[in-house]
Amino acid sequence: MNFRADEEGIRNGKDSRPRSQCFGHRHERRIPVRPTNVLVMTLALLLIIPSLGLAAASKATITLWYPGGDITAGVNDFVDPNLWAEFEAKNNVKVEAVALDYDTMKQKMFAAAAAKNIGDILFVDDTFVAAFVKEGLLDPMEDSKAKAWLAAVMPEIKLRSEYGKGKMWGYPQYGGDTYALTWNKEHFKEAGLDPDKPPKTWAEFREYAKKLTKRDAQGVISRVGYAFRHVGAASGIVHKHFWALEGAGARLVVPPDALRGGKSAFNNEGGKAALQLILDMIDVDKSTSLSFPDPRAAFLKGIASMQYSELVSIKARQPKEAPDLNWGFGPPPVRKPGDVPVTLFGGFIFVVPKDAQHKALAWKALEWLNSPEKDYELCKKNEATPRYRANWEKEPFKSTPYFQTLKALYPGAVVFPINLGSDGVVEAVGAAIQKAWHHEASVEAALAEAERLANKAIAEAAK
Amino acid sequence: MTRARRRSLRQVLTRLSSRHILHAYFFIAPVILLFGIFRVVPSIQTLLYSFYKVELLRNRFTFIGLENFSDLFADEIFRGAALNTLKYVLTIVPISAFLGLVLAVMFNTKFHLKEFFKAVYFSPMVTSTVAAAMVWWWMYNPQFGIFNVLLKLVGLPSQPWLMSSRMALPSIIIFSIWKNLGYNMIIYLAGLQAIPPQFYEAATIDGAGGLSRFRHITIPLLAPTTTFILIYNSISAFQVFDQVFVLTSGGPANSTNVVVLDLYRQAFQRFNFGYAAAEAMVLFLFIMGVTILQYVYSKRFEVAY
Amino acid sequence: MRATVKAFVQANLYLAIGGVALLMVLPFYWMIITAFMPAPDIIAFPPKWIPTRPTLEHFSAAFAKAAWLTYYWNSFVVAAVSVGCSLLFGLFAGYAFAVYRFPLQSFFFLLILGTLMVPVQVTSVALYILLSKIGWVDTFLGILAPNFASAFGVFMIRQGIKSIPVDLIEAARIDGAGEVRIVLTIITPLIKTTLATVAMILFLGSWNDFLWPVIVINSSGLRTLPVGIALFKDPYGNINYGPLMAATVISTGPMLIAYIISQKYMIRGIALTGLKG
Repeated sequence: MNFRADEEGIRNGKDSRPRSQCFGHRHERRIPVRPTNVLVMTLALLLIIPSLGLAAASKATITLWYPGGDITAGVNDFVDPNLWAEFEAKNNVKVEAVALDYDTMKQKMFAAAAAKNIGDILFVDDTFVAAFVKEGLLDPMEDSKAKAWLAAVMPEIKLRSEYGKGKMWGYPQYGGDTYALTWNKEHFKEAGLDPDKPPKTWAEFREYAKKLTKRDAQGVISRVGYAFRHVGAASGIVHKHFWALEGAGARLVVPPDALRGGKSAFNNEGGKAALQLILDMIDVDKSTSLSFPDPRAAFLKGIASMQYSELVSIKARQPKEAPDLNWGFGPPPVRKPGDVPVTLFGGFIFVVPKDAQHKALAWKALEWLNSPEKDYELCKKNEATPRYRANWEKEPFKSTPYFQTLKALYPGAVVFPINLGSDGVVEAVGAAIQKAWHHEASVEAALAEAERLANKAIAEAAK
Repeated sequence: MTRARRRSLRQVLTRLSSRHILHAYFFIAPVILLFGIFRVVPSIQTLLYSFYKVELLRNRFTFIGLENFSDLFADEIFRGAALNTLKYVLTIVPISAFLGLVLAVMFNTKFHLKEFFKAVYFSPMVTSTVAAAMVWWWMYNPQFGIFNVLLKLVGLPSQPWLMSSRMALPSIIIFSIWKNLGYNMIIYLAGLQAIPPQFYEAATIDGAGGLSRFRHITIPLLAPTTTFILIYNSISAFQVFDQVFVLTSGGPANSTNVVVLDLYRQAFQRFNFGYAAAEAMVLFLFIMGVTILQYVYSKRFEVAY
Repeated sequence: MRATVKAFVQANLYLAIGGVALLMVLPFYWMIITAFMPAPDIIAFPPKWIPTRPTLEHFSAAFAKAAWLTYYWNSFVVAAVSVGCSLLFGLFAGYAFAVYRFPLQSFFFLLILGTLMVPVQVTSVALYILLSKIGWVDTFLGILAPNFASAFGVFMIRQGIKSIPVDLIEAARIDGAGEVRIVLTIITPLIKTTLATVAMILFLGSWNDFLWPVIVINSSGLRTLPVGIALFKDPYGNINYGPLMAATVISTGPMLIAYIISQKYMIRGIALTGLKG
């Protein structure tokens, strides 16, 4: 760079640099202030501002945030714009479904709420509700609407909807996730068991598992009679052992409908028996092991004969991953003959955040979407169990065996406690299960510790 | 303004400009501003938040003094996480440093393909910890992973690895050693090569054997490098997160829960920001304490010839 | 006799170094062959060390499950912007700290060094709260926020500039060059190696960064590579080994190739920074 030349040029008045690079010279162009210009600008403003307002007032858009992908397959008709056509026309709104990632959905919603920029309707796991209520994120449903709903739906749906006496925070979606015992019919036949009859009691369950287990040449188990979940998120572990815990009389939180307060009730004889069941199967029967931590995958791969988890995921995955699998589903075994088999019942729910821009419209849209007519129409389309009692009187729900089998599961349906401290309770129980089955602690010690932690979590959340 | 005052103002400005004061401030402004907003202020805020109950959505910040900290110390899960983190640090730092030194010594000799092997040993460092941990997650798989397959091949029983609350943390430690080996080796090698050969020659003339030379020349002269390695490895070991997140998520039964993972869970999954801030402060104090301790301790061993 | 002992030691050395090298490389090797072998071969026993019937099915499955090209792009944008800004701002700041004497200089310098002492975990809580209030969570700006400047960069560049003779700078000033011009046209070429080393280390750090991105990113369209890998599983939490290894090959491949090409340079650069502490 030749500084000298430039400097000389400036000194001699021969400026070698273009005008724009001269510092200190500002070549500005201003719009001259003349009456005609002022008039034009005023007119323009007068035209633009109202039309903006009109545009805004003409059509509101309600956004519905939901987890995209396979996880909502079969329960996400709201994604289809045609579904909303009737509602949109009557109310002059547009409904827009926005897909989120299931993994990080909760954080995304929380951050959006903090920025006051959140969707109008949220379609979430019903396990989110407790945390969201605790943070003050949700708008409660109007009492009259809640009353109408609770009076018209099936008892297990009422269980999922109510958060304390008559209070609702949203509409639970159809296609509730039922947990069921699934078994491999070919394995049953091979072991000389009736392929259409699952084990009814815990004793039978242990016998079946023993018969179904297979070993390889070295004596290492190559196929377990029953695969169980013992790693990963605590909620997954607890969910998948719920049938044994609740079935034996261990309760996560009592009373179950207490939003705040209450205490844990799983450190009792039933809880111990539930944990001991699997422990005995590992150590004594040797019909299962810790090496099959993903029960659904093991079941679909054919290296587990029985497992207990969400029915809908097996139903969705089996055609692709194990097209030749001949499987059955039914209620889990009970501890003693005569007990009612317990199944965990949960699913998705529509909620409205407190900071939503169009709250009233959102609730209106949800009422329309979850009306008896729409319930019948969509459940029929998706082969899901309807929520309204009246709809069960109609075909195909009334007489099809598939639906009747599902219906038979419902009396034993139990929902997860709604307590604000449930997260902590589940963590504690999950850790206890892991410790016991990993032989880290005795069943008694593990449950005692979990009880302490769970009560602490409940107390913390009640503050 | 009088002429006299105007002149002195110009003098001041000239002096300033010859010292480039304005330039200095302009040049450091972006860095200072950006750090200020996004690093310094948040650090101080985290300290403040640790004394509050933070309810972000309700925009409610309640001062609760030391309650977060007392809850922290009463929390068995956090105590477990702190213990696991300590176990992790106390195991991995000496082993990594030692292995790094051994390898560096081996590499300080002449042999074919030295550069090639050096590159091979260093390669794990350039991959992201997450991706490498994913590969090891697969290798640790109890049924089909390569480790149990190799064990089966030689007739030994297969191990549960990441599925056992007793083996999970050691399994993570083995991964971390693999990942960081090359770095320690490279640093030690540089340190070794900085030792003037005259020392060794003089010692040999005086009749010192190989081992004696190592003990009395190499180790003391490597002291600054060792200090650096110990401090650097400790700081990053205290902050371990990526591999735990991928390999075990803190399980089974919280046996691999470490402080940063617990912090992450409390803050970004449970939204307990005040509590998490307290955890962050405890972590910070630990790191500072260990760093200072190591630095002071090491000064005793530094030798200058 | 001495010669045979020496040869023996040499042989053992080779054995040791070669053996350990094999162990170091085993994970990569296993990753690559798992990615290319059909599913039944992956779980075959005795294990197949050489893929006999290589397939690309896992790669197409991996690409179907996640938008790897988007993840690459995101990682690249984040790394490029953060490295670019760090170099630019660090260049000027390093110059100021190296060449000028100004009031509060030590204070500011210690402030910058101080950020090195405070790890990102400590700032993350409050930073997240701040970003969520201004709506920067789940945006590029949010990922970049703590990475617009680098204390390490400032420090290294200052070191590098300190070794430049002051006369050079004075001469340029006499010639009438403005300070900005001096920095950009005179200083920059002289500290090329320092800048390149800093750029490389910062790029590597940003490319492999995980904690902050996983905190800030909530949409799959914004994920950087490490986040993409960590969250690579289908909604039911199912993880398939073949596609998973294909995914890791996809995400580590280019970096490994870049490493193979430039490893001498990388290693030397990192060793130098270690010595300087």
